[in-house]
Amino acid sequence: MNSVLTTAVSWVALGFIAFLGVSVIYLIWTGRINLARLVSESNGDASMSRFQLLIFTFVIAASLFLVIASPNPPKFPDNIPSGVLVLLGISSSSYLVSKGIQFSGDQGLPGVTVTPAASHAKAGEKVQFSATVARAGDQAVTWTVESKNCGTVDDNGLYTAPAQVPPGVTMVTVRAASKADPAVSDTATVVLAA
Amino acid sequence: MAGTPVPALVTRVVFGFLIALAGAIFAQILSGRIHTKFLLHGTRKDGSRYFSPERVQLLLFTLWTAGNYFVSAAQNAGRGILPDVSQQTLMLLGGSHALYLGGKAYFMLLMKQQIGKKEAGS
Repeated sequence: MNSVLTTAVSWVALGFIAFLGVSVIYLIWTGRINLARLVSESNGDASMSRFQLLIFTFVIAASLFLVIASPNPPKFPDNIPSGVLVLLGISSSSYLVSKGIQFSGDQGLPGVTVTPAASHAKAGEKVQFSATVARAGDQAVTWTVESKNCGTVDDNGLYTAPAQVPPGVTMVTVRAASKADPAVSDTATVVLAA
Repeated sequence: MAGTPVPALVTRVVFGFLIALAGAIFAQILSGRIHTKFLLHGTRKDGSRYFSPERVQLLLFTLWTAGNYFVSAAQNAGRGILPDVSQQTLMLLGGSHALYLGGKAYFMLLMKQQIGKKEAGS
């Protein structure tokens, strides 16, 4: 009875593992699991620390698989050598220290700063803004005016106030968002005067 | 369990999964779907990039260590023992990583000093 139960559980476990594996591969192949930034930083550049961690993870996993699968029947090794654990420790801790160095500093993560942060404009007047992207490879930003009919801003950050200031509008927000990571942005305000 | 086909099937399923996963990642790296641009470049705090020899040596050492280990594992697989990594290799690997991290920290620190000087000058 126990033997039958063990065999049944083994087949169910095997079916689950196979289904999981095939699903993951299928989703990767169709692009629904997106690996585009598997070894990338937040700014899109490839990361050496992630890449070496990927290589060591694969090699140790493949080696362990070979060692388990080669004997007949397959057998898990009696012990994992300390050198292998140290190797994985070096690889993983190097990745963590690398991230610590990268995100050290006063502001830490990549950020956008728009200057001047506040300004005044009369109807039809122009205001030149500039944006600085810190800790990101791509310095390009996308400029937008957050309120409708409250002026325009071009790709160079030149804001033009509307010819006629809409009634009730006294302040407009201009936003610069990093093209590499649109979630990273900053705003400036323009106080409109008729 | 010996005598049932389950262990052999598990072996094949896991082997197939590992091969397919490695193949998919390798193919996507080659086709450019997985971004590897600027793998050998560092980024300073101001976002500018520089070619990084310490990354090149880390890449070479990683490939060399990983390749050697895999060959060693394949040769000893029949004994059912996972091969150890020698102390010398670990020390060299640690040194390689220290060089990489030191270079990265140096450029970050250098940029901090430059920013500090600019702010002091303005």
